[in-house]
Amino acid sequence: MVSLLKRSLAIISILVIGYWLAQGLAGVPFGEDKMLVGHYYLQHVKEQTGAVNAVTAVVVNYRGLDTLGEVTVLFIASTGVAALLWRKKRERTAKVGGSPVLTVGTKFLVPFVMLFGAYIFIHGHLTPGGGFPGGATIATAFLLLYMAFTIYEIPHKAFEKVEGLAGMGYVLVGLIGLAIGGYFLFDWIWQDWQWGVDNIGRLFSGGFIPIIYTIIGIKVGTELSGIVDNMLKEEVRE
Amino acid sequence: MNGQYASLLIALPLISAFFVPLIKELGRKAVMGYLVMITALQTAIAGWVANEVYSTGKPIIVIAGGWKPPVGINLYIGHFAALFVLIIAVISFFMAIFSFRAVNVEPVDKYAMLFLLLMLGATGMIATGDIFNLFVFMEITAISAYALTAYNKTGEAAEASMKYIVLGGIGSSFFLIGVALIYGATGTLNMAHLAQLAGAIDPTVAQVGLALIIFGLAVEAELFPLNAWAPDAYQAAPHPITVMFSAFVVKAGLYAIGRLLYLFQGAEGWSGLLRLLVILATLTVIVAELSALRQKDAKRMIAYSSIGQVGMIAFALALGTQAGVSAGVFHMVNHAIVKALLFLTVGYVGVALGGTAIENFQGLGKRMPLTALTITIGSLATVGIPLFNIFWSKIRILLAGVEAGYSWSVALILGASVVEAVYYFRLVHTMWFVEGGGRIRENFAIGVIAIFLAALIIVIGVYPNDVWTIVQKAGQDLFNVANYIKNVPLMGVGA
Repeated sequence: MVSLLKRSLAIISILVIGYWLAQGLAGVPFGEDKMLVGHYYLQHVKEQTGAVNAVTAVVVNYRGLDTLGEVTVLFIASTGVAALLWRKKRERTAKVGGSPVLTVGTKFLVPFVMLFGAYIFIHGHLTPGGGFPGGATIATAFLLLYMAFTIYEIPHKAFEKVEGLAGMGYVLVGLIGLAIGGYFLFDWIWQDWQWGVDNIGRLFSGGFIPIIYTIIGIKVGTELSGIVDNMLKEEVRE
Repeated sequence: MNGQYASLLIALPLISAFFVPLIKELGRKAVMGYLVMITALQTAIAGWVANEVYSTGKPIIVIAGGWKPPVGINLYIGHFAALFVLIIAVISFFMAIFSFRAVNVEPVDKYAMLFLLLMLGATGMIATGDIFNLFVFMEITAISAYALTAYNKTGEAAEASMKYIVLGGIGSSFFLIGVALIYGATGTLNMAHLAQLAGAIDPTVAQVGLALIIFGLAVEAELFPLNAWAPDAYQAAPHPITVMFSAFVVKAGLYAIGRLLYLFQGAEGWSGLLRLLVILATLTVIVAELSALRQKDAKRMIAYSSIGQVGMIAFALALGTQAGVSAGVFHMVNHAIVKALLFLTVGYVGVALGGTAIENFQGLGKRMPLTALTITIGSLATVGIPLFNIFWSKIRILLAGVEAGYSWSVALILGASVVEAVYYFRLVHTMWFVEGGGRIRENFAIGVIAIFLAALIIVIGVYPNDVWTIVQKAGQDLFNVANYIKNVPLMGVGA
């Protein structure tokens, strides 16, 4: 009886809150022209950043501080996983290897998957995608290796160092902008040096966007592989 | 020097955190020493920034990427942010020193990274001038806090962290939905620009959006009923981290609530939201103080007391008057000092005697006289005895509350203060008038920090006026939105 009362009370309050939220949502002009800042980006993106992919330009250049923050969030996630799963000695304990289809397929596909990941982040300023999906694709290649072979292990320590170096690289790019252009995360390559101005729409353009996306790609790739590695290994006692 | 260099406040902790994997092979001492060095450097930068802001009287606007707001993101380091970024840096520096003694669980290199990023997140939350950027920094703060809560790897730490993750995750999603609603209604994310447009937003959207944002932040700001995670997390986290939680992580959440609340004061239905917040804050005080009374663990008891004080700050910020906001900021500063001292000393007792249960405090006055003395000063200050710093901010908050017409809340808060006095005097009694074990040698560095904080409590208590002028400026920074809009170099966008 009590639980029934409790439940109906919960349902009623959910309905009330839901109605209230819907009212709020109904007040947002949908499909109407409210894009104050959005329009500015669309009109100026090419001349100001050199990127053909406007989304990338917003993410890496106009709102670069947010992206630096998001990279940090991922870094914290991987560091947190590593901190909480830390044991003195850990090893892989999987007993059953992958089927022949998986092992042969993995051997064949891994280089291509990695190549595709690299393609995604290098071309972030031209085509959809960028450092985060590119890095995730590369991590998929390592995941495939883990699934196919019971003894496979990434070079854990080296990956950790690469991850740190990539993060430092991003901040350094921002600091170089501060030193040259006077603003943190300033795109000095496009705005000061004007490299690639006649190259818009091709690989060597977009200022520091390809550099940052390469850094992010490497960082995300090593980070996600590190998380997979941490979650697969189990503690062994001597 | 160019004001843009204030971006080093963000860049330094970040690049230093990324550097830690490269020096982890050098061992625990090297990593901890590195942590002390970096936080000292951050303190120096924050000191320079604060000096710059308070001597020129003008905020430093850091423009990321050289894109003028609202197209780009700006940091707004005004009187409030400058003061609190300095407090964050100083407390982090002290806690880096304390970590030498208090943190022995491996992996220390990960601890150092998360420590720096927790500091970074709170700094960013207070400095940013963009509402989505605020979300990003809130995530940085929250996720490092989840990981650090579970760092000791005990069962209760895992449980506390899990609770925190669930509530924090719900809070973040609320916040994000609120931001999406507001962005949908205005087309901008910059805080100054939003404040300009606030009056024109559809009243329901403004109310729903702002309410969602405030509910989301209330998790970080430990307001009832979203603070169930806090006592567990405070108790389970490593001692230096508990100090950081209480001294500035919760303050960052409170600041964000205050800042966003006043930015939207032009929106319709605003005063209804204030009233709701006053009720929540009053409930926070009462529930926390009553729960503190029943605790048998000193650290947990002080955690509840900290939540109670936080509720009082939220009450002051929600009054909607200049006097209330200034008093709230004053209380934020005082609370940061007092709770840093209390959690530091209680944590030190925990490290030295192997736990923070109240029994361990029996006869502490003879066993660790210096620690016991500083705990006593902290306790008396928290209770609000004259000649200690909290007396002044507490009385200002209560007066501002009466002035704003919330006498019933003031009466309830006063009642809760009596409860607070009961359990703090119980602790003091246990320390000085119950027999305990033999004398223990006290750590020199921790003693110096504790004496410094205790001295600060008394100095502010005796001469409150200097600090009061500083916090009044900080309060104005929060309250005077017209000035805030004027200081941000907005470029015109759209039609």
